[in-house]
Formats: sequence, C-alpha cells, structure tokens
Amino acid sequence: MKLVTAVIKPFKLDDVRSALESFGVHGMTVSEASGYGRQKGHTEVYRGAEYTVDLVPKVRLEVLLDDADVDDVVEVIVKTSQTGRIGDGKVWVTPVDTVVRVRTGERGVEAL
Amino acid sequence: MSAPGSESGTEVLGADPGALTQRYRQARTAIVGAADLSAAQRRAALTDLTDRWVRDLFGTGATPGVAVTAVGGYGRRELLPGSDLDILLVHDGTRSSQDVAVIADALLYPLWDSKVPLDHSVRSLDEAASVAREDYKVALGLLDARHVAGDPSVSSALAERALADWRRHAPQRLTELREAVRARAERSGELPFLLEPDLVESHGGLRDTVVLRAVVASWVADRPHSAAIEESRSWLLTVRDALHRTTGRRSDRLLMQEQDEVAEVLGLLDADVLLRRVSEAGRAIAYASDVTWRSVDRTLASRSRRSVFRRRPSRRPLADGVVEYEGEAVLARDVDVTDDATLPMRAAAAAAQAGVPLAVSTLERLVAETPDLPLPWPSPVRDDFVRLLGAGLDGIPVWEDLEASGMVVRWLPDWERIRHRPQRTPIHRHTVDRHSIEAVAEASRLTRAVDRPDLLLVAALLHDVGKGWPGDHSATGAVIAQTLAERMGFAPDDVDTISELVRHHLLLPTVATSRDLDDPATTALVADLVGSVQRLDLLAALTEADARAAGPAAWTPWRAALVRDLTTRVRRELLGQRPVEQSSSESVEPWARTLAGTGAFEVMVAAPDLDQVCKVTVVAPDRVGLLAAVAGVLTLHRLEVRGATVDTVGDAAVQVWRTVSQYGAPPVDHVVRQDLKRALDGTLDVHAALASRAKDRRRSPIRSAPPRVSLVPDASHTATVLQVRAHDEPGLLHAVASVVADAGVCVRSAVVDTLGADVVDVFYLTDRNGRLLDDDAAHALRDHVVEAIGGRV
Repeated sequence: MKLVTAVIKPFKLDDVRSALESFGVHGMTVSEASGYGRQKGHTEVYRGAEYTVDLVPKVRLEVLLDDADVDDVVEVIVKTSQTGRIGDGKVWVTPVDTVVRVRTGERGVEAL
Repeated sequence: MSAPGSESGTEVLGADPGALTQRYRQARTAIVGAADLSAAQRRAALTDLTDRWVRDLFGTGATPGVAVTAVGGYGRRELLPGSDLDILLVHDGTRSSQDVAVIADALLYPLWDSKVPLDHSVRSLDEAASVAREDYKVALGLLDARHVAGDPSVSSALAERALADWRRHAPQRLTELREAVRARAERSGELPFLLEPDLVESHGGLRDTVVLRAVVASWVADRPHSAAIEESRSWLLTVRDALHRTTGRRSDRLLMQEQDEVAEVLGLLDADVLLRRVSEAGRAIAYASDVTWRSVDRTLASRSRRSVFRRRPSRRPLADGVVEYEGEAVLARDVDVTDDATLPMRAAAAAAQAGVPLAVSTLERLVAETPDLPLPWPSPVRDDFVRLLGAGLDGIPVWEDLEASGMVVRWLPDWERIRHRPQRTPIHRHTVDRHSIEAVAEASRLTRAVDRPDLLLVAALLHDVGKGWPGDHSATGAVIAQTLAERMGFAPDDVDTISELVRHHLLLPTVATSRDLDDPATTALVADLVGSVQRLDLLAALTEADARAAGPAAWTPWRAALVRDLTTRVRRELLGQRPVEQSSSESVEPWARTLAGTGAFEVMVAAPDLDQVCKVTVVAPDRVGLLAAVAGVLTLHRLEVRGATVDTVGDAAVQVWRTVSQYGAPPVDHVVRQDLKRALDGTLDVHAALASRAKDRRRSPIRSAPPRVSLVPDASHTATVLQVRAHDEPGLLHAVASVVADAGVCVRSAVVDTLGADVVDVFYLTDRNGRLLDDDAAHALRDHVVEAIGGRV
C-alpha cells in the first residue's frame, strides 16, 4: 500500500478531484497548505509590493492506494494539475505499513 | 410493577433500600419515557417520585435536629431526565458527629449505590452558612433550599439564614456573581445567536434565570416585569427536557445533529423553527439580565456614593435632546418625543459613540411614542445611522437593544426575515442578524482603507439580507439592499454601489480559490464586474469583514493571501484604465469666481436648510494658513463640518463649507469674518482656544480604528496628494491644516468629507512656487501630520 501526496495550485483542486473520481479513486484527504519552491513564490515581479511573497497558498491532497494503482494515479494528478507555469507543485509517493477502517476495524487492502 | 406515583410511602426505617431503589428506577424510567406528559408535568412527577424515594430511604422515624434538604435545581422542583440530585443533609449541631455520621451513611450509601447522579454534602447550620459566605455558588444553591425529609424546623432555619446572609452581603455577592456571569457569557457564548447553544450555560439561558431570581431576592434591584421571561424560561426547560430524552445523555448543548429530532419530539416543523424559538427565548432572558445588572450597578454605585460623596450624578449632553446620566443615555428633560421622528436614531448614534447603553425607559418611550421616519430619510438621520454603525464592537450592545425593542425593524422592514435566522454552514457561528452586525463591527476597523466608510458600513450590514429568501442570497440581497439604500436617502450612485457590493460580496474569495490567478482573463473578469478602484477597495474590505465575522476558519492567512493576490492584480488592471484627474477649480461657481477676482475678503453664513446644514462660503486672498484658520474658527463657533471644497482661483481662495450648528442658531456672518481676520493676524490664538476646549471634552471611549495618513502617488500630475482618514473629532481639520501651514506648504485645493463618524480628507498640495513637493518634503509632511493627530500609518 502506498500514500500519494500532491501539493498543487488551489484552483486545480476541483479538476483533480473529478479526474480521480472518474479513475475510480473515491476517497482523499484535502488540506490547505502554504509553501514555496526554487522560485521562492514569485510568479512575477510586483511593483511596490506591500508584503514579501515567499509562502504561497497551495492545496495538499493525500490518497491511500494499492500498489498497482499508484503509477496511474500519479499520472492523472500530474496531467490534470499541470499549467506549465512555475508553482505547479509536486507529487510524491511513500510506503504505508498499516491501514485500518475505523468504523469496522478492517485492516490492510480491505480498508482502502 | 405499580404505576408511577402510587407508592404508599409508609415503609418503615430499615426497609430494604435495594428494593426501594429498584422500584424508584423503574418508575423513573416510565416517567421519562412517557410521551403523553408535558415537560412541566414530567418535572413535577420526577420531583415527587424522587422526594418519596429519599424520604423512604431516610425513614419516617422522628429525627429531631437533622433534615434532608433539596437545594439548587432539585430544590426548585426542576428535575429533568438528565439532572443531578442536589442534596444537603443538614443538622443543627445538637447531635454528636458520630450520630450524624451514622444517619448520613444510612442515607448516602443507598443513594450512591443507585448510580443516580448526585451532588451531596453534610453540614451543620453554621458550617453551611460559613461555606456559603466563601463560595457564592453554594450561597446561590441555598436560596432554593426545600425541605424533603426529617426535622422541618432545621430546613426552615437553613433557608431563612441563607436568605438573610444573602441580603446582608448583597454588594459583595452580587459583584462576584456579576463577574461570574460575564465570564460564563464569554466561555459559553450568547444563546440567541449561537447555532449550537448550551441551554443552561449560554448567556440568556437557564442559569441566567436562576441568577436573576437571586438578584431579585437580594432586594438590590428588581428585574423587568415581563411575562416573556417566565414564558422563555418555561420554553427552554421544555426544550431541555426533549433534548435529554432524545439523546439519553445529560448534555445541555443543542447540537445541530440533534436539532431535527428534538424539533420532531416537540411537534415543530423543523430544526430552523426550533432554533428560532430558542433564540427568541434566549434574547428575552439576556435582555432582562443585562438590564437588571445595569440597575444593580447603578444602585450599588449610588449606595457607595451616598456614603462617601454628597454630589449628585451629572447629566452630560451627548446630542440634541440626549444626555448621559449614571452611565446610560437618557432623554433630556425638555424633549418632545412625539414630535421628533429623528430622535431615536440620534439617541442611538450618540449612545453608541459614547459607549453607553440606552436606558430601558428611554428606549421604551422612543419605541412607543415617536412617529415614523419620513421616506427617504433626511441626511442627518442617515449620518446618525452611519455613526451608529461606525461605533464598532462597542456599539453592538446598543444595536442589540434596538433590535430587541423592535426599532430596527421599523427602520429596515426587510430585517424581519433575517432575525434569529440560523445558518447551517460549518464556518458560521452566529444567526444571520448577529453575523451582520458583527460584520459591521469588523468593517468599522477597516474604514481607513476605503474612500467611503459610510457605504462600507451599510453594505456590511446588508450583505446577507437576502438570506431570508430562497435562491441566491447575493442576487436577492442586491435587490433588497437597493430598496433599503434608497429608503435611507443615498444618492443614486451610492445606492448602486451598495447594491453591487452586496451582489458581489462573495466574488473575491470564490474567484481567488477556484480560478487561475495567473490567467489574465480571471483578472479581467473581476475588473469588469467591479468597475473601479474605489469599489474594489470597498469590496476587499467587505470581504475581509464578512469572513472575520463568520469565524476563525473563514479568514485564515491562507485565504487572506489568495484574496490579496487577486485584489492586487485587479487593482493594477483598474489603475491602468483610470482617466486623468479633472482640475477641481472648474467646480467653483461663477459669482464666487468674480468675487475672488476683486481681492475681497468675505464670509457668508447661510441659514440652515431642510437638513439643518448651513453653508458657509469664504472668499479671501489666498495665503498659507488660511485653511487652518477657517477650520479652527468654524470649530470655535461650534459648527460641525460635514464637508468642504476648497479651491484656488488666481490669487484668491474660495471655500465652501457644509456645516451643522451643534447647539442653537448658527453664528452671524460678520462675527465669523471678524474672528477669521483676528485669527489670521495673530490676535486670536485659535490653537490655544481649541486646546482648552479639548481638555474639557471627554475622550471618546470607543475603540475606533487608528487614523491613516498617506500620500497618493500618481493621483495628480500637478500637485502632491495627501489623504487623511480618521475618526471625526472637533479640531482635527485645524490640526492637519496647521501642520501643512507650518511646513510652508500651500493647499491648492481640498475635499473634506465627514461620513458618519469618520472623515476622509484629500488635500492637493504644492510648494510656494505652485509645484509638486519633492519626495523628502512630502514624506516629512506626512510624518508630521501623523504625529499631530496621533496616528500610525
């Protein structure tokens, strides 16, 4: 089992959700996040900016998956959230030891 | 199993407590589950049943000197399915402590074993009095002491002593109690406005009714006589009964997930109706509580004053016909209430800005006896309304009192649809009406960010007014807001702005979180809908005020950053489209222009028009310091400045001031002219005269937003533009103009506007050669102005 985490631009959330649902993924965790990458959050030069922009608002998505689905899901997320401009974000995959469904106590792949 | 309530009660001491308890629990379950009992019947049945059980456990043998007393809720005969039993085993001190211990164990062990939630204590009469002296909560419980079993004379002694002590130590007890009420309100919120109220602990809930009884019992103050309070209390008990029975738990919080079921049990249509009725009940109790505590404060203050000072409390004038007396706003003695439709609004604004509540009697008179406002509202009424809204957090109590008394609905009929209206979204904490006034309070802290604070405040009040109707509340609200703004007498442009602000109050956060901000189409779309930088600033402030008022989840730094990003981009787009500024001297009237050309020195004070505004026209040879002198002289003559336009025509200055005389008739032309001459040649020290007035005047206690002074770049090619936004104070304009004069800077033209309690002043400044100030001079000037009016940029 794997955890796929994606940090993407906020306005892309709805698109990614629809795409994942069409793919067959029916659950995810979404949270508000802030961050920056190599460009330190600047997408263009602001004239007389009143605040320093380094932490840019993003959305974090987390999805638990069976190993077989990981590559496809990563592909879906990347394709859907891509705009080609800086600040598009990142997707990464981490292994997961245990998953339990709280209501029933089911464990492992049954709980995904 | 015998039917509930038919126990014979003749069991002898020593009968099997286990069996007694068993029968009690069964009978209790039956009563709790009986659907055909009303809440009041159930309370009585549970109390009677419990009394019988306790009596049986205690035994019917004679036990002189010892009694079992019910205190607190049990003492009040208010046992609900989830209530604790509050029991006090009291003795008169004639028995040995071993004796008492034996009797106590015989009673308490079975009580504990029964697993009925229990709050118990064993005390002698002296001990009880002593603990009550230390702890007001115990004292409060003892006020409801009721004999259940044992020696009745001991119970009576307990009750009499508790009441006597309560009355004797009333000032201290009530002070403690007041603090507790305040802390509890902060912790548990206000019942009328919460979407998940605690029926007991929230302000306006059942605990407040108990506190009110205690206050009345102390003989310090009386509560308002109103059937509404008793009805409200009874209703809340009924809802609490239904809640306990539905959840099977002892919690008193009416959670959203339970509201539908509770509504059904009570035979109500749905959860919204339930919440609305609970809200109304809470409001009646909260209002009674607030009024009673104010009365207590007054009584205690006058008691202490009488014993130390012999001075009578003063009556400080707040506005025409309104004075402050003992911490409340009341009507002046000679006021004719039936003739003055503008009085309620004026009194409300004065009270709010002074940070004092309206006295109950005053409010009642205003509601009952004043005629309705003419439509559209005259401009002094509109100004007062904006002043009322601009008082911020400190004005909310005044607003709530007006709301509760029905005054707001008279002013704004459409308000009725959003009163007590619940909102079922996770981010809102309050009912729509409360949320609206909270948004106004938040907006009052953002007034320095906009050109038209009055429009911001009104839009904040009306932004959710459409929620009382089905459909898109932004669109519906825009229509209602337009009607109401017209009713208030705003100019057509302003009506349009208010309506559009309501229509688009969700635009910025929606677009910021769901559209690509890098896409030029996004920015263009918003710029199109908003139309101008002025409206954009208003919309941004409204967005922030709305979100902050909704709750902590609605204006996180995350969301704020996105909205600010969008706003910056749209502002840049709109600025690029702005037409060049028109020269303002084109607005001077021809006759004034002619007069200016002759080098005359004239002051004309017109008679007050229908809106009480006196136009003062000044035509004089232009010189540095003229504006400061005129501003100061007008203030010294007690003329409140509502607006002014200042222009330069050749070598002369033409100033047109819209003023309102504060007390009585406006001054005569030549007196003002003479004072102005003396101010200019130095024989009248305006500054000193204003300073001595300021010393006598009490500083406004409300927390208004700090002033903002800024240079506006790119606003004009021919003058340096300085903008001042601040809370209105007499002498403010004089102070600013003096700083400008001291720096040797000329005021080529200026626009001064007082909107409610806020001023927005724009000065077009040049150096002595008529050119733009250089950067250093401009910034230095700005800093000096900031210093002079005590603000931060």
